[in-house]
Amino acid sequence: MTTTAPAPPRETSLDWVKKNLFRNWWSGLISVILLPLSLYLAYRALRFLFVTGQWDAVRVNLTLFMQGTFSRDEQWRLISQIMIFALAFGIGLGTNSAASHDRAQDAGLDVERGTIAGTLARMWSLVAFIGLLLFFATTDDMGNLINPFLFVGGGLVMGAVGYQARRLPRRFRNVGWLLTMTFLVIGFQIVSGFDAGGWVPLGIIFGVSAYSIAPVDRFEASWLRGALRFAAALIVVLAIRAVYAAVDTPGIGWDDWSGLHLTLMVSAIAIVLAFPLGLLLALARRSTLPALRIMATAYIEVIRGVPLITLLFMGQFILGFVVPQDVTLSAITRAIAVMTFFSAAYIAEIVRGGLQALPKGQTEAGQALGLAPPPIMRRIVLPQALTAVIPAMVGQFISLFKDSSLLSIIAVLEFLGVRKIIHAQEAFRGVGIAETLVFVAIGYWAFAFAMSRESQRLERRLRVSR
Amino acid sequence: MTNEQNQNVYSDATQAKGEAVIELVDVDKFFGDFQALADINMNVGLQEVIVVIGPSGSGKSTLIRCINRLEKHDRGRITVDGIELSDDIKNIQEIRRETGMVFQSFNLFPHLTVIDNITLAPRQVRHEAKNDAEDNAMALLERVGIPEQARKFPGQLSGGQQQRVAIARSLAMRPKVMLFDEPTSALDPEMIKEVLDVMVELAEGGMTMIVVTHEMGFARAVADRVVFMADGYIVEVGTPEHFFTNPQEDRTKLFLSQIL
Repeated sequence: MTTTAPAPPRETSLDWVKKNLFRNWWSGLISVILLPLSLYLAYRALRFLFVTGQWDAVRVNLTLFMQGTFSRDEQWRLISQIMIFALAFGIGLGTNSAASHDRAQDAGLDVERGTIAGTLARMWSLVAFIGLLLFFATTDDMGNLINPFLFVGGGLVMGAVGYQARRLPRRFRNVGWLLTMTFLVIGFQIVSGFDAGGWVPLGIIFGVSAYSIAPVDRFEASWLRGALRFAAALIVVLAIRAVYAAVDTPGIGWDDWSGLHLTLMVSAIAIVLAFPLGLLLALARRSTLPALRIMATAYIEVIRGVPLITLLFMGQFILGFVVPQDVTLSAITRAIAVMTFFSAAYIAEIVRGGLQALPKGQTEAGQALGLAPPPIMRRIVLPQALTAVIPAMVGQFISLFKDSSLLSIIAVLEFLGVRKIIHAQEAFRGVGIAETLVFVAIGYWAFAFAMSRESQRLERRLRVSR
Repeated sequence: MTNEQNQNVYSDATQAKGEAVIELVDVDKFFGDFQALADINMNVGLQEVIVVIGPSGSGKSTLIRCINRLEKHDRGRITVDGIELSDDIKNIQEIRRETGMVFQSFNLFPHLTVIDNITLAPRQVRHEAKNDAEDNAMALLERVGIPEQARKFPGQLSGGQQQRVAIARSLAMRPKVMLFDEPTSALDPEMIKEVLDVMVELAEGGMTMIVVTHEMGFARAVADRVVFMADGYIVEVGTPEHFFTNPQEDRTKLFLSQIL
């Protein structure tokens, strides 16, 4: 017969206070000093927010903060873009999470399945940011609220909707990434326009998938299968090209972007471009070919040794060396290029760290099985190395997102730069300077914090098997 | 024992019975100035089980790692199934496809499930269809006695189970030769037997094997020949009975007195 020990007595709130605030004399002293101090600071913060703060500078200019000087008549493009992007990310995350959830479940591991409520709780900083926008909306100025609300709230809702893709039956999940890529391209082109020449990205995406899923398995001859695959891809590409030629509607280039929209877009584009570039640089730095290795190392060390702000200023001249003279690049194009090249160097070092940390036995096991170097890299090394560096990688993405505020000094009007216009307005000259700064700070924090939370979750999920 | 008899034991054992699958001729290997393998001459016949023993640092692991080119030998010739090992990557991969290897630390891929671990190489290298590869993987898991673990991740398995998965993973490529690099050294004592049982079954099924191990019981029971190495040299080769009951060299006697 087994006897169970009596359950420990329940902890009262007094016990909690004793244990956590007054454990010994010095922790008691610290508590006595810090408690009133933090209460006082909270009081001052709330007082600033609700009583003394002159929030009109923010309140009146919410739309300006969101989309800057972008044409008001065309703002539907921006709002649709944000929503479509959010949908794309939602689908990507949703299908991915469902796939790994199933795998974990098959393995008998206990994992929680994501819910919308969970997503919103994870993204609480964004929800709080929306709350702040609502707080600023006064009853006499609802029109001013609609744009920013759609901007952030619409994005959040569409993201949650896309996340429902996790409910798709297993065999349809493979289309998850296809949908994600498609929506990303469409979302981009809703602003930049569906020109006849804009077929390339979708053409590549669908061409590649047609090539890989073409049902040719029943044919024996490999040349025939190859030819049929190629034909399928070609038909799809030509069809997409024809659709674009038929639509051929111009849009607005990215030179007119500004405000929070610009900040988000430039960061996102730079992240998406810098990641593969950084990966290639990391691999090149570990290459056995000396020329490749030396070039990659030199690039990484030079970029890492120069401040971003210097590079941004130099962007004009440096890019002038590599692009033909008659091509003029807008400030935003240059900014995106510089941010991409800058981040790629850091990402390369992060990836290299992950590659080095992987035990040698993993590669050897792959070699011993007769795998060629590319599949060893793709199937064995990179999945593990990249998982290991997710926190550092997201940290780099967050710092890239925040560093985009530096663009305001090269005459690109991003989220922080919008303040310049606001305080040039008659009513707000020298008024509400602290308030607009605080608002911008909260905006940056809301997005950065959401990214950080999502990365923690991603990390937990990918490590579920370890 | 007379000199003549000695000679017989010796010459009997140095040569493989029948057709040689692996042949090493005058192989030397250096790590910097340190000579890891010295003047290695050895051959392994079809369906033969060779057990390599020796003190640590004697070059046993290096020897079998040279056979599938995880280490590059500096001098001499290594031939596997008629293919001579050269620097050509195609040639190396061809040899690696013919030789399975089981590591001391398992080296399973932790991010893949057991079945994905096993099917990865057949699908990538032999371009097997997914269903065929998985059917074969399940058959192999049956053979090593853990079909119920197919959908689990390596981290969820015991050491013995992991090593059995590693054996199944190597067998999935249908190798002609299996190389075992101290397969039971990282295992808790109670799990050693389950792995050795699989290896015994494999040997009885006619697999050609080179096994680096400290399991003398396994050597005695299964080995066709025992190779004793020290300081990079092959000191002595013999059938298990001669080797354990009547070793010729002083170095061998010393080693056996230390471990038995």
